[in-house]
Amino acid sequence: MIELDVRNVYKSFGGLQALNGVSFQIRGPELIGLIGPNGAGKTTLTNILDGVHKPTGGQVWFNGERIDGLPPYEIARRGIGRTFQVTRAFRRMTVLENLLVPAMALHPTARKRDFHEKAMEVLEFLTMEHLANEYARSLSGGQQKLLEMGRLLMLDPDLIILDEPFAGVHPKLMETIYEYITTVHEQGKAFIIISHDMDTIFTLSKRLLVLNFGELIADGDPNEVKHDPVVIEAYLGEEEEKAGPAMVETYLGKDKKDA
Amino acid sequence: MKHRIDSPLTSSRYYRWVAAGVLIASLLLAPIYLNRSPYQMEVVTGAFFYAILASSWALLAGVAGQFSFAHMALTGLGAYTTGLLGRDLGTSPLTGIIAGTLLAGLVGLIIGLLCLRLRAAYLALFTIAFSEIFRIALLTEFQYTEGSNGLQLAPLYEGITPLAEYYITLGLLLGTMALMYWLASSRFGLFVRAMREDEEAAAAMGVNVVRYKVLIFVITSMIVGLAGSVFYHQVGIITPNTMEILQMSLVIAMAVIGGMESLLGAAIGAFLSRVSLELLREINIMGVHIEFGAWRYAAFGLLLMFTLRFAQNGLLYPIIDWLFLRRARQEAVAKRKQAAEVES
Repeated sequence: MIELDVRNVYKSFGGLQALNGVSFQIRGPELIGLIGPNGAGKTTLTNILDGVHKPTGGQVWFNGERIDGLPPYEIARRGIGRTFQVTRAFRRMTVLENLLVPAMALHPTARKRDFHEKAMEVLEFLTMEHLANEYARSLSGGQQKLLEMGRLLMLDPDLIILDEPFAGVHPKLMETIYEYITTVHEQGKAFIIISHDMDTIFTLSKRLLVLNFGELIADGDPNEVKHDPVVIEAYLGEEEEKAGPAMVETYLGKDKKDA
Repeated sequence: MKHRIDSPLTSSRYYRWVAAGVLIASLLLAPIYLNRSPYQMEVVTGAFFYAILASSWALLAGVAGQFSFAHMALTGLGAYTTGLLGRDLGTSPLTGIIAGTLLAGLVGLIIGLLCLRLRAAYLALFTIAFSEIFRIALLTEFQYTEGSNGLQLAPLYEGITPLAEYYITLGLLLGTMALMYWLASSRFGLFVRAMREDEEAAAAMGVNVVRYKVLIFVITSMIVGLAGSVFYHQVGIITPNTMEILQMSLVIAMAVIGGMESLLGAAIGAFLSRVSLELLREINIMGVHIEFGAWRYAAFGLLLMFTLRFAQNGLLYPIIDWLFLRRARQEAVAKRKQAAEVES
């Protein structure tokens, strides 16, 4: 059972209040979208969940254990994995070596060759098996994003946080990323996906969290959240009636059709 | 389905072993020729010492990304430790060498812990400051250290010959190279390279970055502490000048010319640079006698500038690449083409 409890989390950087009493829970393999205007605190929240930042106040619990204050590598080993807004592949290492890093970190007594087979299966899943021996720096931006996601499959976390997985990616690779998320979610993993691609995030996620100025202003079904006056005002600076449906669609995407 | 993995770093292993065997055999047999001249023997033994320094710096800076200037200071620390223990407490060179190695490791541990949050230029400046403080302390506390006169060290054992010193230093070089190669190809190497690329991403993948950052400082400090304490017993004297920034810069330049991401490249680069610097003292070209004096260092500087501008992987890397890595890369390109054809 995947259980994440974010309890009244605050984070300030000097005089800037980046997060202001954020609370939410995840129960089970949920697929959650996290949106908000620029500077809303999305990446700060992600950095707190994976241990890069310590919260100024509040607590984070994961699977019955308090994790705020733990270093990032401990949190990764406890089952929270993430990708970064700006891709961070290990550029002067091969694709295969990139995949071996999390697997070896997770299994202190294992040998590299123990994970070759699994790494190749991951690369096949990502349609990148022919790139195993290439240096990561020679991959395209989209392929590097896929490589980051491949590393997560080797880490095998319960909760996966993807920061802007669709940004600047070729449409064909977007399909692969989309398939990655849906397939891995069906295997029982929880996701938090941060994205500015509203159409995709509304289509993909079953639940939406909206941050604005460090506060969680909405948490619920994507279609309901989209028409929440507080959310519309955060994005458009005015009410839905004044802005009109076209403007709402432009900034917050099309309505999600029922399956 | 079984998959064959040909990493560019591990394929062509067979040819590498053959090349390593030939190289080691040549070094073992070289004294047959070198033994005619104690000067030549001394130069080559010194070149082995610099090869240890440059290759261990390549492990620290090139492989692990920790751009430290403290290497020569830690070498000197090892030598001064064994020298002072021998002079003041009458300990044997072996005890002194062990103490020097351990103390260098301890100081490496402290530097590693203090530099956890320092990167690139900040780390370089910190380690320069450490080295200079250590050098100035040695100069100032001359009543204990003999200051600029230098501290005398006893020979490793009575009656040691240049031939024995040659083999001891060669053994040290081969031993430390084997250790460093084993480390670089193990999980340790995988993690420190990930750390070099991106510490935050490595930590997010479960790598205990703090542990490996400290470990790399401890290990390389112990290697140079050991090398320094053994080598200066052979030289017979150590002075604070050994720890000048210029000396450290020479080691870095040797590693860069050889290829700072390649342990072997850095070692060969240091060996050839050291021997060349000696050969360039004076040369005869068609009866014309030229003494280069300090200008040979200027020529060395020009070579460094050329390397940094035109061959950032080092001058030896293209040769290593052609000999060992070309085939693996060709295979990778072929696989890529094959996959593209299947897709289309």
